[in-house]
Amino acid sequence: MSDKKKIKIRDLTKIYGDGVEVRALDGVDLDIEKGEFIAIIGPSGSGKSTLLNMIGILDTPTSGTILLDGVDVTTASQKQRSKIRNQKLGFIFQYHHLLPDFNAVENVMMPLLINGIKKSKAKKIACEMLEEVGLYDRANHRPNQLSGGQNQRVAIARALANNPDIVIGDEPTGNLDSKASDIIYDLLRKLNKEHDQTFILVTHDERMADKTDRIIRLVDGKIVENSKVE
Amino acid sequence: MFEMSIAFRHINSHRRQTLFSVISVALSVAIIIVSISMLNGFMENIIDSTVENQAHTTVFPKENEDEIYLYHGLEDYLTQQEGVLAVSCYYQGEAALQYRHNVEGIVLSGIIPENEDRVLNMEKDIIAGKLESLVIPGNNIILGSKLAQNLEVDIGDTVTAQVPGTSPTDFKITGIIRTGTPADETSAYGNLRRVQDLYNSGDIITGIGIRISDIYSAEMLANTIDRQTDYDAVSWIELNSEILTLINTQKQFVVIFYIMIFAISGFSIANILSMIVMEKVGEIGMLLAMGTTRRSILCIFLLEACILGMIGVLVGCVIGYIFCLVIVSITIPVPPEMYFGLDHLPLLITPQNFIIAGSFSMIINLIAGIQPARKASKMDPVEAIHSV
Repeated sequence: MSDKKKIKIRDLTKIYGDGVEVRALDGVDLDIEKGEFIAIIGPSGSGKSTLLNMIGILDTPTSGTILLDGVDVTTASQKQRSKIRNQKLGFIFQYHHLLPDFNAVENVMMPLLINGIKKSKAKKIACEMLEEVGLYDRANHRPNQLSGGQNQRVAIARALANNPDIVIGDEPTGNLDSKASDIIYDLLRKLNKEHDQTFILVTHDERMADKTDRIIRLVDGKIVENSKVE
Repeated sequence: MFEMSIAFRHINSHRRQTLFSVISVALSVAIIIVSISMLNGFMENIIDSTVENQAHTTVFPKENEDEIYLYHGLEDYLTQQEGVLAVSCYYQGEAALQYRHNVEGIVLSGIIPENEDRVLNMEKDIIAGKLESLVIPGNNIILGSKLAQNLEVDIGDTVTAQVPGTSPTDFKITGIIRTGTPADETSAYGNLRRVQDLYNSGDIITGIGIRISDIYSAEMLANTIDRQTDYDAVSWIELNSEILTLINTQKQFVVIFYIMIFAISGFSIANILSMIVMEKVGEIGMLLAMGTTRRSILCIFLLEACILGMIGVLVGCVIGYIFCLVIVSITIPVPPEMYFGLDHLPLLITPQNFIIAGSFSMIINLIAGIQPARKASKMDPVEAIHSV
């Protein structure tokens, strides 16, 4: 069973601040299975983004462990963390953060090039990914020539380019209207099913959370609800 | 290499701002190329005129003696030294020269004209009359141009030479020489034998001038002669140590200015890079999230400093070269008394000038790029991503 658990979080605590102590995460325990589609919800300041940044090894905890495939990533070196982020993790943020000087296909190629994959192969994969998110015809458009929803789809293609085990989304539809949000949500769900990748999304949108497999609710840095969606 | 393509795109997306930093680097490189070329040209000119108008090494009498006796043996010994092209013995004494009411104190040199010509290229400085007029030991004399002017004499006039303790002797002016040095005001030349007679000295001399193939080995030759004989040998470098020291000191001061000029252009590179880093905070955060190492981020911004620097240096070299050509072609006049007899700004354009200015500029631009690049590489990805 434990092998199947892709993410195992134990007693994860993050304390911010010097002087005034803020417990962003307070002894969080969480297991996430491979291929799950999870929503982390909670009020502002509840620690959802902090938890997501920890799983994405963008931030380090004050104490506790995070095992990805049985490896404790909290003690990994800077270089190892970069490598894990590049190869095992995909990120989608509220703002797309596409490189404005590169067109869509070049943006999707970026994680592949960072991974040391040859340009020609990277381009082929990037085109396939753009096709998958329905933007192949916009491959040569720059971010400023695309709509918010389209840019977010390019960002999704980029997050999936290296075929990561885990895709992390921090309010991926937070900047979009409800129609565009639905398109993005359906796309993420479709990709989750097709690629059997783990998706962990932080969202404010309860309506969207209800469409996931499981909801983790955080309040004051603690998990207060961990329930499967019926 | 994705770092390179990101660096190029960053620069390309800030064309106007990068244009200004490229211009500032280019101008600093151009100014320094022109400046180095001027300084080197000036130095070479000074050395050339010094070396052309002076024996490369001169042998003077032994200590406590005023003349060199039995000099033929010494002359043979010097001729046999390695690198020696010519030697010329001379007798030099003080005298007064009079023409009508004009009297000038002079240094009268008795020479063997063909030897002196081989050592000092005298022939080319003769502006009137002939050097050969001194071959026969007659009463012929060649005067420095300024001296002739002061005495208000010309070729064919007769001047009276007065040497202390002898009766006045008339000499016919058979030549005027202009070397472009202060010596033109005090020098006069006669036949060696005739001048020796004038001074009642017998067959002795006061010095031997030597011309050698490599002017920079003059000091070594002088040392060898000093060591192997009792005579006092002095190289042109030693004789002109004051002026050479002056030029070298000036060079050191100039280096400080070079560094300041380069620093200004370095700041413009640092400025544009800081601006790009500030503008690209979110992008840097995302690159870090995507697994770009901090080293690669550092590399991206250092590459940008390199690219900007390189374009600046190349443009600067072209502008510098054009400046040099323009300055050479228009020949800016300068007052000769202030510039050791030079009447125009000499320029020595060599590839080394471009290499020195270019490499210095590149080093300073790279140093300027370090701070913004480090700042970018040290960013916290979470903060960077959420700063947008």
